[in-house]
Amino acid sequence: MPASEPILTATGISKRFGITQALDDVSVSFRAGEVHALMGENGAGKSTLGKVIAGLHAQNSGSVVINGRELIPGSLDDAFHAGIRIVHQELAQCPNLSVAENLCLHDLPTKGMTVDFAEMERRASMLVHQLDPDIDVTKPLGYLSPGRRQICQIAASLDKNPDGSMIAKVIVLDEPTSSLSISEASILMDITRDLASQGLTMIYVSHRMSEIFTCCDRVTILRDGKFVATNIVADIDEPTLVEQMIGRRIETPAAKSDGMTAESVETMALKSEIRGDAPDQPVVDSEPCMKIRDLSSPGKLDNCSLDLHPGEVLGIGGLVGAGRSELFDAIFNIDTRATGSVNVDGREILGKGIRAAIEAGVGLGYVPEDRRIQGLFFNLGIDENILAPIMNRISGFCGIRKQADELEAVRNRINRFQIKTASLSETTPGELSGGNQQKLLIARWMTEQTKVLLLDEPTRGIDVGTKSEIYKLIRQAADEGLAILLVSSEMPELLALSDRILVMGDGQIKGELTGVDMTQTNILTLATKEKHQEKAHVQLN
Amino acid sequence: MLVIILMMALLTLYGMFTPPIEQKTRIQLEENATIYRLDADGNEHEHLAANQIVGYRVVVDGETREYSSTNIERYDSSARTLIQVNTVNRFLNKSNLVLIAKDASFFAIIAVGMTGVIILAGIDLSVGSIYGLSAIVGAMVLSNLPAETGWIVAVPLALIVCTAVGTACGLANGAMSEGLGVHPFVITLGMMAALRGLTVVIPQQFFGTQSIGGFPTSFTTGFFKAEFNGVYPVPVILMLLCGIAGWFILSKTVFGRRIFAIGGNETAAKYAGIPVKRVKILVYTITGALCGLSACAYLGYYGAAETNAGNAYELQVIAATVIGGASLMGGRGTVIGAVLGAIIIQLINNTLIIFEVDTSYNQIVMGAAIIIAVVIDQTKQRIQARRA
Repeated sequence: MPASEPILTATGISKRFGITQALDDVSVSFRAGEVHALMGENGAGKSTLGKVIAGLHAQNSGSVVINGRELIPGSLDDAFHAGIRIVHQELAQCPNLSVAENLCLHDLPTKGMTVDFAEMERRASMLVHQLDPDIDVTKPLGYLSPGRRQICQIAASLDKNPDGSMIAKVIVLDEPTSSLSISEASILMDITRDLASQGLTMIYVSHRMSEIFTCCDRVTILRDGKFVATNIVADIDEPTLVEQMIGRRIETPAAKSDGMTAESVETMALKSEIRGDAPDQPVVDSEPCMKIRDLSSPGKLDNCSLDLHPGEVLGIGGLVGAGRSELFDAIFNIDTRATGSVNVDGREILGKGIRAAIEAGVGLGYVPEDRRIQGLFFNLGIDENILAPIMNRISGFCGIRKQADELEAVRNRINRFQIKTASLSETTPGELSGGNQQKLLIARWMTEQTKVLLLDEPTRGIDVGTKSEIYKLIRQAADEGLAILLVSSEMPELLALSDRILVMGDGQIKGELTGVDMTQTNILTLATKEKHQEKAHVQLN
Repeated sequence: MLVIILMMALLTLYGMFTPPIEQKTRIQLEENATIYRLDADGNEHEHLAANQIVGYRVVVDGETREYSSTNIERYDSSARTLIQVNTVNRFLNKSNLVLIAKDASFFAIIAVGMTGVIILAGIDLSVGSIYGLSAIVGAMVLSNLPAETGWIVAVPLALIVCTAVGTACGLANGAMSEGLGVHPFVITLGMMAALRGLTVVIPQQFFGTQSIGGFPTSFTTGFFKAEFNGVYPVPVILMLLCGIAGWFILSKTVFGRRIFAIGGNETAAKYAGIPVKRVKILVYTITGALCGLSACAYLGYYGAAETNAGNAYELQVIAATVIGGASLMGGRGTVIGAVLGAIIIQLINNTLIIFEVDTSYNQIVMGAAIIIAVVIDQTKQRIQARRA
């Protein structure tokens, strides 16, 4: 660990957004050649601090000093010239332009009146191929996987001086792995480590515990906009970090065997928190309520079959791009080219449209992966967001709304899900926290008619506290007889919530795991099996 | 609300700057009334020189009424009437206000449907042409009716024919853009040209004219141009009915809320099981039907259909909805705003007429009004977003 002098110091930073105090007198210093994590629950201010350092936000008070020079608050330009770069998801990328154009957008090389494409591609490949030599810079950016898009963004910060030294000194990575699969994330972490060893300061904003231990040197914890502590990662354990983040200690059962990994401790803790002391339920023997046979879709799904029983949570594991969301889209009739059979309680619904899937008697519900794009109506109130799929069931003659009945239905669900909202009809989803938005979307399908619920990444990007609330709600719904299909890339979540786990890869179901075989290693082994291999029950190690 | 502020500003301007006009009314005196002319000292006279009269005293059955000569021009002894003169504001008087509302009502009715289209984040450029075609087809049917046909036949018949044509065109718009997956801008742009062509070709082929008239009077002055107290309120009433219906559908029915949901987030609407295509097609169809309805009112009011009827209406209608607060990005808009927006556009036109500005300038003023309205509205949104 380099114990050099700090290269960058943020002193007494405070930042307000309206009535929210996002940062309150935070001071942190960063050294050259370290990966320094900023951690905290959602709303703790970790992203805001990263953005203040990069000049995306102007702080209300305090200063950022790099190499003895104070930066102009809120000036992206000044921070850029001082060698600070930021990589975050919301940063403008043009998916319709090529990788090369995206990388050179701020300074397109020209030849006379026209763009010099050859020079542009040469420059871009020089940058990108430092990190990943397989990226074709002439391809539109939108064709790349999310992981490679992220790599391209990082590559854009790696321009060099004529003498071969890096121009950038500090790179802020804002939740760099939140939309990446496990394997992509580990590539990204390797890159992060590698760049730090070249002397760059990597500021790593994340809330993924395992990543902190894999790739960071020091970690600064923020809570409610306030500085809590800066720790050396090697000297600290997970429960202490969690305690610093949430301000209380989560009881974890002591690791029983020495061979237990950090993940399985996390899973155990989660399991006991969700299910109490009740033992793992055996797989339900009852008649399946949904039978899927040979479900295929060109280029997406390949002969998927599964049975789902009432009262069970069937987890679907796999890497990003394995076809898990595509499976859900096919079941819910959003993918109109799907073939095969989806049978719910004796009714065939495939190819009959989305209404056929959700209508009473079938009772499918679907909470899609991206709540902002696929889930919420930001122009409508909380009430109408919840009622969207079933408003017609509550209405009277000619679709005239019965507002008293609507209000009652909404109130019931808001109470059950503890959705924190100022008003039912005046508040729009944009004013809710991510966790409450997600709870709203799950509440949307919690009607008497729903029998099967498809959950795609139900806790992505939400804080620890709300996560465990959602886990309990999911478990409670299953115990009441709901059948749940759960897609999750967070291993502890998948392992702790599921009664059984199916592993997908290349659009196929690669195998099923039950009981003690449900481990992260087994899931990854199945997920990375060669395509077209025999779909056998996995041989366990 | 922006529209209301704009409207009050315009009204104030009118009130301050329009020259007053004189309006004469006759006060009929009773058979047994005796009338005296009063001089400066209050004495009663049978006859008096006009320049000495300061007032009139009327005695009926022992009761006395007095009129000051400041607003009585003279006494017409042959008709036994006092001629009263009032100076009224040229703009703020009953007949001018109803005139403005009437002129606005033809495109305000269409703006009710357009509000739905804009909330869907769609657009319909063909409304003017649908209006023109519905009017021409309706006129062909009406001109073939015998002159003495009663309103009970003529009015429903014309309504059915005009709205049927409009509905068919609107359905074609919706079905084509949804069925073929082409942006409604392209489909309705094509329909705008094609339907206008039909509107010109049909009367030339069958009548050899640019204009079709000669409708039963029960349809025109008997219904759509019926007079009440010196004004012609039927198109205005129709506009109000459509506005109320539109408001009710958009805010109080499932269909209306689905329109908002689709405009706010079409992908999410799909995942929530909302029948997106069906709702969209229906909205375009309703807009077409409203074009037909409005065309029917136009036939009844003007008694003839011209082939250029509804020319450039798409501009006025879209302007009305946008001035009324609808967002072209979808998800936001009100029918009340659209109707008021239509009236504001007509107010602007009316002002320019009162100030005797060349009508060619209308387009310039209207263009500016649209841009200003949208800029103000978006600035307001941005400020609200920053506060939240």
